[in-house]
Amino acid sequence: MSVRRGADPGTEGIRSARDDVGPIPRKNVGPVAWFDIRKRGLGQFAFSLNRLTGLGLVFYLYLHLAVLSTLFRGQEAWDDFLGIATTKAFLLLDVLLVFGLLAHGLNGLRLALIGSGRGIDHQKALYRSCQVIGTILLLGAALHILGGD
Amino acid sequence: MSAETQTTRRIRVFRYKRGDDEHRYDEFDVPVSERSTALDALRWIQLRQDPTLALRHSCFHASCGTCGVRVNGREGLGCVTALSDVSGDTVTIEPLANLPVLNDVVSDVTPFMERFPEPHPYIRKSEFISEADTPDDVDAYGRFEDCIECGICLSACPVAATDDTYFGPAALAYAQRMLEEARGADREALLDWADSEHGAWRCHASFECTEACPSDVRPAQRIMLLRKELGNRKKEVSS
Amino acid sequence: MAARTTDATTSAPAGRSRTWVWTAGTGVALLALVTIHMVAHHFVVERMGGLRTYEDVLDYVANPVMFVIECVFLVVVTIHSMLGLRSVLFDFGLSDRAKRLTDRGLIALGVLTVAYGFLLIGVLASRA
Repeated sequence: MSVRRGADPGTEGIRSARDDVGPIPRKNVGPVAWFDIRKRGLGQFAFSLNRLTGLGLVFYLYLHLAVLSTLFRGQEAWDDFLGIATTKAFLLLDVLLVFGLLAHGLNGLRLALIGSGRGIDHQKALYRSCQVIGTILLLGAALHILGGD
Repeated sequence: MSAETQTTRRIRVFRYKRGDDEHRYDEFDVPVSERSTALDALRWIQLRQDPTLALRHSCFHASCGTCGVRVNGREGLGCVTALSDVSGDTVTIEPLANLPVLNDVVSDVTPFMERFPEPHPYIRKSEFISEADTPDDVDAYGRFEDCIECGICLSACPVAATDDTYFGPAALAYAQRMLEEARGADREALLDWADSEHGAWRCHASFECTEACPSDVRPAQRIMLLRKELGNRKKEVSS
Repeated sequence: MAARTTDATTSAPAGRSRTWVWTAGTGVALLALVTIHMVAHHFVVERMGGLRTYEDVLDYVANPVMFVIECVFLVVVTIHSMLGLRSVLFDFGLSDRAKRLTDRGLIALGVLTVAYGFLLIGVLASRA
């Protein structure tokens, strides 16, 4: 079997030896593939959640800076904001934030370990541990944030 | 001896011929038994229903890697994907993702092969059984590596789904395997090749390649080991 | 053996692994920094959600240790965010030119983010 050599994926991308090949089937449209966990393994779920929470947290970073800008306007403006921020609905969003932080942070720790070649054969167990630890911490945080004590 | 129970399954097959504007799906009712595989169904269709159906296969026992397809969205070798393990009223058989289609369920593996660093030996001599006697007409034993180059890992990879410049799990796993047993290969050149935005650092550890691999290559694990090598090399350079 | 050479426009080998090392390193640092930040702003003040009033915020920022920690947190979280965004954007298989533009854009965004955050915390510290 002869195989054409010499293409550099770094610059040329996917190519074919023939000019008349057909379409390139994709399982999803573009980045939807990053979040499609149907019939996929635990690692895909971890990757998808990590990406989703990462993007969510970047959005939150700027939302947070925008909200904190209220402080520029002084005490009254901030107290008005606190009136909204201490409602149950808003505090639920804080719990969602904690979920995002835990999901991204704990899995990130797992990725730092396996990405540097440690615990590679136990990546599923590591993720299950992250899920257990994260759930416990999330429950504790939620009880505190929503319970008001 | 009791006869195997025969049932009928609806098989939905991806169809594309060169020159077509776009692909379509054809459906066939195929008699299957408990042990029928996806490849069996495709061959039945080709022999009994539609001789224009193109498919590729060789060994029938998961060692050549040529019959890789997607069955109901999951990658696998057609010759060992039992239809009895596939749920649903209709079984959809499609070519591998992230590679161009040549013909129906046959993918063009050239872009897959081109991702490997050069040279890419298909067979390497084994040193492990050097004490063993070879027959008179055989100079030395050859050993096949685990990877059967089926392309299934590339189809399963969520990064390859959006980035056609990513080297992919098979090529990177191959590089790591070469580092384990260099046998004269240029280790530094291999590491330079892998140390790329298109290489080891593009992987996001979804482990889908390992899940899908029919040959226990564990490419994701090997990519992580490759990263460890790259990290160690960086430390050696800076120290 | 000759490995396929990478194209001249990609960064040096050390640069590529450095990106990952910085992403992982800032991520690990954030485990501590985010914990401190979240505890300070949700678990210290006795009120619904632990949220601080305006006076509480000024008191908090007036503490030099917390001031420094929050500044470090801002820088680290911005670096991690920009590197994460970079990784996501690069997964689209960008051209080399697009990658260079992305890098410049993210550096600019990161600098602006940190600058604005420093402005915010600086103004609050001056009011404390």
